[in-house]
Amino acid sequence: MIKRYSAIMKNEIQRQFTYRANIVAYAVGNIAELVALTVIWTIVYRSIDSVHGYTSNEMIGYVIFAWFFSFLTTTYAFEHNIARDIHLGTLSNLLLKPQSYIRYVAAVGTARISVAFCIVLIQGAIVFSFFKGSLIFSSEVSTILLLLTMLVITYFINLFLSILIGFIAFWATEIDGIYQSLKVFSKFMSGTFFPIVLLPAFLVKASYFLPFIYTIYIPVQLYLGKISFAEGLRGLAIEILWLVVLYGIIKVVWRFGLKKYESVGI
Amino acid sequence: MIIQVKNLSKTYEYYKKQPGLWASVKGLFHREKLFKEAVREINFEIKEGELVGFLGPNGAGKTTTLKMLSGILYPTSGEAKVLGHIPWKREPKYQKQFALVMGQKNQLWWDLPAMESFILNKEIYEVSDADFKKNLNELVELLDIKDVLDVQVRKLSLGQRMKCELVAALLHKPKVLFLDEPTIGLDVVAQKNIRDFIKEYNRKNKTTILLTSHYMEDVKELCERVIIIDEGRIIYDGNLGSLIEKYAPYKVLKISFEGEGVKKEDVEKYGNVTDFQPSRITLQVDREKAKDVAREILSSDLPVDDILIDEVEISDVVRKIFSNNAKK
Repeated sequence: MIKRYSAIMKNEIQRQFTYRANIVAYAVGNIAELVALTVIWTIVYRSIDSVHGYTSNEMIGYVIFAWFFSFLTTTYAFEHNIARDIHLGTLSNLLLKPQSYIRYVAAVGTARISVAFCIVLIQGAIVFSFFKGSLIFSSEVSTILLLLTMLVITYFINLFLSILIGFIAFWATEIDGIYQSLKVFSKFMSGTFFPIVLLPAFLVKASYFLPFIYTIYIPVQLYLGKISFAEGLRGLAIEILWLVVLYGIIKVVWRFGLKKYESVGI
Repeated sequence: MIIQVKNLSKTYEYYKKQPGLWASVKGLFHREKLFKEAVREINFEIKEGELVGFLGPNGAGKTTTLKMLSGILYPTSGEAKVLGHIPWKREPKYQKQFALVMGQKNQLWWDLPAMESFILNKEIYEVSDADFKKNLNELVELLDIKDVLDVQVRKLSLGQRMKCELVAALLHKPKVLFLDEPTIGLDVVAQKNIRDFIKEYNRKNKTTILLTSHYMEDVKELCERVIIIDEGRIIYDGNLGSLIEKYAPYKVLKISFEGEGVKKEDVEKYGNVTDFQPSRITLQVDREKAKDVAREILSSDLPVDDILIDEVEISDVVRKIFSNNAKK
C-alpha cells in the first residue's frame, strides 16, 4: 500500500519540478498577500491604539500567523484538477484501474503542494526573523503539538473541500465562479484576513456552525495564547468531526456524480 | 468463453442545444432532453485467444461497447461477462486481468518520462519486480522504444506515444486487451508497426484481443473474425472472408489492352463495366463465372495485354453494407 501511494506522490512531486516558473509565481503571490495585509493594518493603527482589544503588535502577529497557517494548509485550487479529470474524461482512465479515485486524488493533491509547502516554510522563517521582537506566541510543547495536529486536520479539511467542489464538475461545466466565491468566503470565515471577532456578533455566532473558523482562527488564537489548551482541544474535536462529515459527503456525492458521468459518457 | 455479451444496450441522455443567443437564454429555463441509443441489444461471444475486429462507422457504438466491457460505463440494459466477472462492478480482481488502450485518450503522465508511468502502473496493478522487468524488456524489445523511455511523453511523436501507451497497458500481462482505435492518426509506417506488434503479441501470449477501428486495413491485417456494428446494432459477425462472399457475390476483372484499346460495346457483353478507358477496363462478374469470362476474353480477338482477377475491396463491401443499412 505504501509503495503504491509513494509511487503516486513521487510522480506528482517530479511533475511539480517541471513547472519551476509556476512555483516561483505562487511564492511571490503568497508573500504579496501578507505584505498587503500588514500594510493595511499598519495604516489603520496609525490612528487607533486598539481594535477590538488587539494592539498593533497583537494584530500584526495575528495576521502573520494566520497567513502562515493558511498557506501551509492550502490546496492551491486543486478543485480545478478534479474538474479537469471529469470534463476531459481522463477520469475514465482511473476508473478502469484497481485504484480508488478518491485516494488517488488525495495522494496527488498532497504531493502537489509539497514543494510549495517547503517554500512557505522558508518564507515563514524569513518573515518571523523580520518581526522577531514584536511577535508574542506560545512556546509550550503541548500547545505546539496540539497546534500541529490541528493544522494537519485543517489541511485535510481543505483537501476534502477541494474534492467536493471539484465534484461539482459532474453536473456543471463551469466551476470557476463557485470556486472563487467559496475561496473568498472560506478565507473570510476562517479568520485568514482578520480575527473573526471583528465581525458583527450574529456572523461570529453563525461561523461556529461552519468548519472554516476551526481551520485558522482557533489554531492562531491557541498559538497566540488567547484561548486555553482545553478550548483548543475542543476546537480540535470539532475539526475532526467536520473531517468525518466531509468525508461522508464526498462518498455520497461521488456515487451520484459517477452515475451522471456514466450517463453522459465521455 | 472469455467474453459474453447478451442483449446489451446503452442509451445516453443529453440536452438539445439550439444555436443562437435567444435559444441560450431560453435554455436557462427549459431544455429539451434527448436520448441517443448508442448500443441496441447486441449479442456476441469471444473465446480465449481470439483477435476480433469491431468495425463500424463513427458513432456506431464501438467505443461505448468497449467502455461497458471495461466497466467505465453502466449499461442501460442487458448483461455482459468478461473472464467470469461483471465489468461494471469494477472488482479489482477483474481490473488486474484486463487492459484498455484508447487511441485518443492518454493514460501516461504528460510531463514525465514514460518510465515513470510504467513504474506507477506496476504499483497500482501490483506487479512483482521480477515480472515487471521481464514484461518491460519483452515489450520494449518488440516495440523498439528503448531510447524513448526517458524522454518526457509530451516530447514524443504520436507513434512513439502510442507504443508507450501499449507498454503501460500490457505490463501487468492482462488476459484480455481492449484496443479502441489504436492506429488513429498514425502514419503508414507506425500503423504497420503497431499492427505487427498486436499480431505477434496475440500469437505469443494468447491474449484475447478486441479491437475497434474504422480503418479497414487494421481489420484486414489482424482479424480473422470481424463484428460489424452500425447504429448500435450488429449487422455481421463472422469470418472476414465469408463476409466478402456473402455481400459481394462477384469478382473484379481488371484488364488492360494494347494498341488503340477497345470500345465500350466490345466489352459490355462480358459483365458490368464499372470503369472504362480504351486501354483499361474494370469489369464486375458473378463469382462462379469469373474464370469462364476471363477465358473468353483471352481467347477473343480483343488486344489483351494483362488481366487480373481480384476480390472486391473489403472497404467497398463494408461501405455498401453501411449505406444499405442507412437506407433501411
